[in-house]
Formats: sequence, structure tokens, C-alpha cells
Amino acid sequence: MLTSSPRVAPFLFALFRRLLSLFCVLLGVSLITFAMTYFAPGDKAAAIAHARYPDVQAFPPEILEGIREEFSLNEPFFVQFFQWLFRFFQGEFGNSFASNTPVWDIFVGNVTETLSLTATALLIGLLAAFALSSVAVWRPGSLFDRTAVALASIGAAMPNYWLGLLLILLFAAHLNWLPAYGSGSPEHLVLPAITLAFWITASQTRLLRAFFLEAKSAPFVETLRLRGVSESEIFWRHILRHAAIPALTMIGLDIASLLEGTVIVELTFARGGIGSLLAGSVLSRDYPMILFLVMFSALVYVFINSLIELVQDALDPRISFLKPPKHDRSTEARS
Amino acid sequence: MTFQTQAGFSEETDLKKTKHGKDLNRFLFRLGTMVLCVLAVAVTGFLLSPYAPNSPDFLNRLSPPSQAHWLGTDQLGRDVATRLLYGGIWSIGLAFLITFAGAVMGTMIGLVAGHFGRVTDVALMRVTDSFFAFPELVAAVTIAGVLGPNTANMVFALILVGWMKFARLVRSLGIDLVHRDFVVQARLNGLPSTLILWRHILPNIGPSLLVLWTNAWSRSILSISGLSFLGFGVQPPNAEWGAMLLDGKAYMQTAPYLMIFPGLAILSCVLAINLAGDRLRDLLGSNAVGTEK
Repeated sequence: MLTSSPRVAPFLFALFRRLLSLFCVLLGVSLITFAMTYFAPGDKAAAIAHARYPDVQAFPPEILEGIREEFSLNEPFFVQFFQWLFRFFQGEFGNSFASNTPVWDIFVGNVTETLSLTATALLIGLLAAFALSSVAVWRPGSLFDRTAVALASIGAAMPNYWLGLLLILLFAAHLNWLPAYGSGSPEHLVLPAITLAFWITASQTRLLRAFFLEAKSAPFVETLRLRGVSESEIFWRHILRHAAIPALTMIGLDIASLLEGTVIVELTFARGGIGSLLAGSVLSRDYPMILFLVMFSALVYVFINSLIELVQDALDPRISFLKPPKHDRSTEARS
Repeated sequence: MTFQTQAGFSEETDLKKTKHGKDLNRFLFRLGTMVLCVLAVAVTGFLLSPYAPNSPDFLNRLSPPSQAHWLGTDQLGRDVATRLLYGGIWSIGLAFLITFAGAVMGTMIGLVAGHFGRVTDVALMRVTDSFFAFPELVAAVTIAGVLGPNTANMVFALILVGWMKFARLVRSLGIDLVHRDFVVQARLNGLPSTLILWRHILPNIGPSLLVLWTNAWSRSILSISGLSFLGFGVQPPNAEWGAMLLDGKAYMQTAPYLMIFPGLAILSCVLAINLAGDRLRDLLGSNAVGTEK
């Protein structure tokens, strides 16, 4: 174990280590994000000037130089980077080049659409995955089980933009039940949410089924069975809890894919939201907006995964802050 | 479990003599036959198709599937079946290239991190974690879009966001391996590091790497088509499957076959690679370390 620090309380030491690595990752994330826009080709001063005076075609060099001074575009990379970083963490995200309104206001105006879409999709997807996998493991190898596995395989290979198009073709173009494009009403949410949820269901069904099966054959379940505990009680009280821990990790990873999915789904269904905002600002080279959105999606990922580690900690007494990192374990086993 | 994985490491384990080895050989034989069949069909298609993928034919615009055009023609009168064939080269080939580059890059970073340990290891792994924090498609759209949407920039973007899984896997497997008895013995015998790497480390990492790579390959096909569908990847008039879907989207009502066939192509291709990868993982499972993690 952590022999190097006999005096420091090991918990604090481990906590410090976690926080330090979190800090490093956050710094790395910001560095990569900033580099994405810094190394972009094209004159940024011209882009800012065009955003300010949309009617003017060509700008005299003095004006461009003035803008470079104002936004300190002449400074070296790291000076610009830290200037941006400090402003970012003070909540000054700047104005969008495209509309000259604060980035934060545009973001707030779009985030609810994305949130409602992802939350609905996550809810539908997880419920469906839970139902499918729990029924499937009731009799492994049965027709239902095999159908569920086949569906999950197809779902994992399904391009969600194509699924979206197929749903539009069927439910909007042919049956005329639901609106195809746009957003606003709950009806507009149905098709995009199903498109996103389908993918979540596919990946989670597969995993949950594997976790349930693994838990079902675990020695403690055998013991419970021999003691005469009923199957349903075993499932609801023990297997579910046992499978929740690995499942939670996978859901955390899925959140990142969910962010990816919203980009595609929002553009396929011509909805507003973070994804279509990102695509739009990338095409118009709206750097403040791009910086904010990319940083936001990475921070969401880091935050959710840290949160899940904490929850795992609470759920499973075997996982703890005190556990040495992976490479220490192998040496420990040997000595 | 520990016993099994340890047994898998011993050099004397000859794959071909075990039952798993037989299953593996049979599987590889079947897979090879199937791939050859598909390739044969594709090559026949290339040779026999009377159409070029990008030459328009304005007299036959948007004609439904017929004997002359098996899968119909698109809005410029180009033969969809021919375009699907050429699109396969783009989608599958580019994905192969991207994941191969990512695997090489990730393996090198993982090996360096595992070999030098300490500060190098911590620094490289934090870099890996930082890259991991970006949702793949968000980063790819941003990089490809900011550099200018075209095929080369998309390939660059996807390589940049795809190497981390390989680095993590190789590092953790490498660190596990370095402490195994046969590697320790090899070192005590005075074998140089490079020889240990080629003879002991890489062959033992290989199977897990292969499984991860098939997984990455199929995902990459989805990413390429997705980016092209969004307009950030392969640009028209090139016949990439995602780009064909984008073309067909506008004619959804009048010519639904324009978007059905490219989608089916993506789905079946990704499904096939996934299934082969799953089977490979099951067959290599007892010998590959780390796949269960």
C-alpha cells in the first residue's frame, strides 16, 4: 500500500492525488480546446472585423492591427491561452462573432432543447434496456433472449442518422403522424428521442444482460437459492444491486456518446440545441462559441465521470479511495 | 481467473494444440472464405459495371431500381449500385487507415508510458485522459470544420480523437506483462529491451489489440459516414456512403431507395465487423489478457 506516506492520513493523500490528476486533466482539456482554434488557418482579426462590420468588404490594415491589439492576437500562444483560461473560469466567455451577443446567452437559449432531448432519450432508452435485459436473462437462450441479443447487435451497428431518416420516412412522410423537422412541441420531440434512445437501449441491453448473467451465476446467488430465497427476491434485492455498479460505469461512458448523438440527431431533425449550435459555429468560424461549447462538452464528461466514481464508492464498499492505482496492484501481488 | 490468465502467458502454450485453437482456426478459415467471397463479388462488380461512379446521365435522373440500374439512379442520373461499390472503398478503407494509424500511435504511447513509468507515465496518461474527455464526434466536427471540411482534415481529426483506447490498453497490459516471470527471466538473461518488446510483449498484447482494433474499425466507419452526412467529411461528388445518404435525404419522398441502400450498406458492414470482432474476442478470450476489463 501507500508506504511512502506513513504520517499523512492515507485518505487525504489519496484525495489529494485524485484532485491533482483531475486538475491536470482539466488543464489538458483546456489546452487542447484552445489549440484547436489557435492553430486554425485563416486570419482571426479579419473574422472579428467581419463580425463587427458585416457590410464592409475589405478592411484597412490599421483596423485589423487594432483588433489584434485589442484581442491580444499578437501575443505568444501561452499568453493568449492563460488569458483565455482565466477569463473562462471567471465566467467571461465573450461575445459570439456571428451575432455579437454574449456566448452565455446563446448557450442558455439552446441548452434546454438539448437537455429535454437527452433526458427523454436516456429515460426511454434505459427503461427499455432494463425491461429487455431483465426479461431476457429470466430464461437465457430462449427465443426472447436471442431476439433481444440480435436486436442489441443490430442497434449497436445502426447509424443513428439513418435511423432518424427512416423514422421520418415512415412516421412523418408516409403515415403523417408526427412532424419531421423542427422543435417546439412535445410531438417534435418523439422521433429524435426515439432515435437517440434506440442506440442507448442497444448498448445497455447487451451490457445489462451480461452483468445480470454474471451476477446470476455468482456463488452468493447459489447460496441464497439454497437457503430458499425466492427467485424474484434474489433478482430484485441482490442481482440488481450487484449489476448496478458496473452498469453505472457504462452509463457514464454513454453520456459522452449521448453528447455525440445529439450533434447528429439535432442536425438530422433540424432541431435547435447545443449540437446544431456547435456545427453552425464551426462552419462560420465563431471562435468564442466553439471554445465555449467544446470546453462545455468536455467538462460535462469529466464532471459526470468523477461523480460516477463517487457514487460507485458509496455503492460498493470494495471500491475506495484507498485502493492503490492499477500498476501498484500487480507489483503488490508479486511481493 | 488469475490462474487462467497466467497460464495464457506461458510461452509454451501452443494455440493450435488447444481446443480453443482449433475453434479459432476454423473461425479464421470461415472468416477468410467469407471475406474472399465478398471481395470476389465486389471485384466482379467493379469490372462488370458499365457505369462510372461520378459521371452524370441527365436522361435517367432519379429512375427507380430496374434491370439497367439495379438500385436505381440518383438526382444526377448516377448509378447507385456502382456508387455504393466505390463508396465502400471510401468508408471501409478510410476507416481501416484511420484506426491503423490510431492503433500504431496509441501502442507507441502506451509502450513508452509503460516502459519509462514514473513521471513519463503519469504525464502521458493525463494527456490521454484529457483527449478522452472530448466526445469523439464533437472534437472531430470541430477539428475537421475549423481546418476546413474535406477528407484529409476528417482523417486527421479522427486519428487525433481515436488513439487513446489503444494507449490505455497497451499501457495496462504492458505493465502487467513486465512483471511476469518469463519477461523477468528474459531480462535477467540479458536480452535487450527491443528484443523483449518484439518477442514477448507485443505477441502477448496482440490478441487484445486485435479485438479492440476491430471494435474501433466499425466505430470509425460510423464516424466517417456520420461526419460526411453532416457535411464535415468526404465531399460530393465522391461516393462515400454517408455523403450518399446526405444526397438522398432531399429526395426522401420521391426516391426513398436513394437513402435506404447506403444506410443498409453501412449497417451490414458495421454489423459484420462487430460480429466478427465479438467472435474473435470470445475465441481469444482465454489467451488475451485485459479484454475482460
